[in-house]
Amino acid sequence: MSSENTTGHTHGSDYEIVYPQTPLSAEQKEQILVNLQKIVGKRNVSHRELDRLSYSRDYWPIALRWMLEGKVPALPEFVVWPETADHISRIMRMANEENLAVTPFGEGSGVLGAAIPVQGGIIVDMKRMNAVLALDDTNLTITVQPGINGMNLERFLNQKGYTLGHIPQSLYCSTLGGWLACRAAGQFSTKYGKIDDILISLEAVFPQGTIIRSKPVPKSSTGPRIDMLLLGAEGTLGIITEATLKIWPYPEKRVLQSYVFSHLEEALESIRIILRRGIFPAVARLYDQVETERHFYRTKKTRGKCVLILILEGDRELVDLEGSVSHAVCTEHGGISVGEGPAAHWLETRFNVKEISEFTPRDVVFDTIEVSVMWDKSMELYQSMISAMKSIDGVIIASAHASHFYPQGVCFYFTFGGTPMTGSPTDFYQTVWDAAMKACLHAGGSISHHHGIGILRSPWVQQELGSSLEVLRTIKKALDPEYVMNPGKMGL
Amino acid sequence: MLEEFKKYFWIAKAISRLALSTQKEVVVRFLTAKKKYLPDGKTKAHVDDILKCALCPNMCRFDCPVLQAAKSETYAPAGRARIAYLLEMGRVSSQDAVDLMYACAACSACQQWCPFDFSVDDLLIGVRRDLVDRNLAPEMLMGIRDQIVNSHTIYQNSRTSLGLEPREADILYVAGCTVLNKERVIAQTTMKILEKVGIAVTTLPEEWCCGAPLNLLGFENDFKEFAARNADIIEKSGCKKMICSCPECVYTFKDVYAEAGFPVKADVMHTSEYFLELIEQGKIQLKELNKDLVYHDPCVLARKLHIIEQPRRVLEAIPGVSVREPPLTREHTRCCGIGGLLAMTNPELSVTLLRARDSELCELADTVVTACPACKIAFKRTRNSESRDLSEIVFESMNQ
Repeated sequence: MSSENTTGHTHGSDYEIVYPQTPLSAEQKEQILVNLQKIVGKRNVSHRELDRLSYSRDYWPIALRWMLEGKVPALPEFVVWPETADHISRIMRMANEENLAVTPFGEGSGVLGAAIPVQGGIIVDMKRMNAVLALDDTNLTITVQPGINGMNLERFLNQKGYTLGHIPQSLYCSTLGGWLACRAAGQFSTKYGKIDDILISLEAVFPQGTIIRSKPVPKSSTGPRIDMLLLGAEGTLGIITEATLKIWPYPEKRVLQSYVFSHLEEALESIRIILRRGIFPAVARLYDQVETERHFYRTKKTRGKCVLILILEGDRELVDLEGSVSHAVCTEHGGISVGEGPAAHWLETRFNVKEISEFTPRDVVFDTIEVSVMWDKSMELYQSMISAMKSIDGVIIASAHASHFYPQGVCFYFTFGGTPMTGSPTDFYQTVWDAAMKACLHAGGSISHHHGIGILRSPWVQQELGSSLEVLRTIKKALDPEYVMNPGKMGL
Repeated sequence: MLEEFKKYFWIAKAISRLALSTQKEVVVRFLTAKKKYLPDGKTKAHVDDILKCALCPNMCRFDCPVLQAAKSETYAPAGRARIAYLLEMGRVSSQDAVDLMYACAACSACQQWCPFDFSVDDLLIGVRRDLVDRNLAPEMLMGIRDQIVNSHTIYQNSRTSLGLEPREADILYVAGCTVLNKERVIAQTTMKILEKVGIAVTTLPEEWCCGAPLNLLGFENDFKEFAARNADIIEKSGCKKMICSCPECVYTFKDVYAEAGFPVKADVMHTSEYFLELIEQGKIQLKELNKDLVYHDPCVLARKLHIIEQPRRVLEAIPGVSVREPPLTREHTRCCGIGGLLAMTNPELSVTLLRARDSELCELADTVVTACPACKIAFKRTRNSESRDLSEIVFESMNQ
């Protein structure tokens, strides 16, 4: 095994480490290895360079770029695969004693660097805790371990006649634990809710090893929900080890609708009215003109327009009624129906994630930014964020679609792409993000709707949360006085 | 070309809005940047494609049986591509990294979810060829290569023929190494079925391995020698039709030989296709057989050869047979653990895969029927279920 020094180079391998760490002494390493093996067994611990490299990144686009530049984001000292909550509890106690960082890992699809072990230490990979524990038809719940892959969970439910209704674009490559840790949203969330709405109860290990279990009940008023602290904490406050979730009978019918609008405002207004009337399409997606041209160039009628696609699903009779009301609202607000085509095209191609693979090696810096805002500020936020990104030298594309809707507001999902004319790609990337985040905060939006904070968004958390961040830091200090849990993230 | 233009029109339009000098710089970078991220010298691996795979969020990972068995990020398809990229760029060189290049079931489950239509095993073959050229192929695999090159089959103390005299015939039957050495019953039943319906069939006096293991492991030159010899001997047999019991043989003779420049001058068929043809012509008469079966689609047969309906239609033609479908079936089938020489390169993972697949099948019926000798052997090993080849079921039904 090669051993890296603090300058970030390794012996025997040729790469630079972006977040280098002072390595443990051989004696310390051996002792910790033995201790970890005692906890989880030999087959569930590794300190091979190959495994450490494999856990050195997540799907943060700039970190993917580093690979091309001969850089590795960060190397953990150990990778551990626990099989029980008790394993994790004991790992946490040991990490506190040894002052070792612990970074939980699902499938590494996060796009903000949250799973990168910036302080080395131990990666706790949850993949070996992926069992389905119980399916309850009466209560419409499933109890499952968090290491399960999203598609494998959905496949299991579909075979039994249910759906979780949580279908993010990362369905194929993310875990339940990752969804909960980042407060994720699926593409069908306008009907089924976000993962925070879908969660009933959980079991988790706190940083000093305490295991908690919340009660699976539809609602209680027995004080603040301690388990909710873990949602959106991105592994900085503990590790979720089990969850009970709501499920739905598999939809009886699905209706696809597509409309074109001349202006984004008209389309946004249509969706606002549809939701106000109590209709919650499973999918509602509205594309600005640039994104319409990008995704729906095959449909001639979409040229120069904004496309809105709606997918309504569930009980046959209800869906028919929802479909006719939605159609009436869209046409009343200037929408022209273009049939099922664009909606069907989206359904068919929604998992074709190619941009990073295609553009990164061409030196095009590409990323997406999702934010949320109330209805009254929605157009202002859209326009100011597009302008802010376009104002950066080198930005070629700045566009958006709206992908999640509420009676009170909307989530915009921006895309930018460009080539840095001066400076490094990393600097260019940071500059565009900075401009976008400032514009978002100025317009009254939240800097993240469902991707989370990670490393990248940390600098803006103070402005987003204000004095709440101080409260969060106090909680962090109380729960994790040694700061071992996923350090270097979320501005904590 | 027009489709590509339409697809990227939105980018072209955005670039056209930039200042002229900037436009030029952006376009030049777009077209030339990639070169600096690829190896300087020539490689057999398609590093450009490997890079695309390495930069993907792993959209196929949920269906990769190797990853699902290993439950370690190291075995994620895009993770393996990333290590492959680092190996090709000379940034890592450990034996662990080299060994990882062989941890693939070659089942192509990944391909059905890939936006680029890649199969990780295809990407890895190029890397393995480079490792062979750089004398970095693992010693154990060199041993397999030597065994095949010297004995013309992967099995030690092996047989390379059915021991039958060649004769004038329209049909050439190639049993394949696994059938000849481990599952002769498949060859025996196949030959008896054909004899019973009066088909003149011949065999080769000495069957050489189709070369699939050599190709998979990256021994390109050795593979080409086998392909040249086999293509020639098949042509000399004079048969216009050739049937094989092993899907890997069919795929190799039919597709891989053609790609390597040694097309087989005969119509290559899998036995399931040919049996169906004979049933539909009324030549095979099937009698009642009261059996509950579960059919397992071999990966190569279903995903590389797209032979999915034919074996089912053969089974459905047998009166009294009830065929169950596992949850992962047809093109979504799951590897038995033997594919891609995984049982040799990563035996523990292979067993985990096998147990997982077998437990899915056992829930549905006591008898597993498949159409691949390697899959049949795998399921026999678990001893949870009776494992049969399609030819055995057909023969049993004909003799009721």
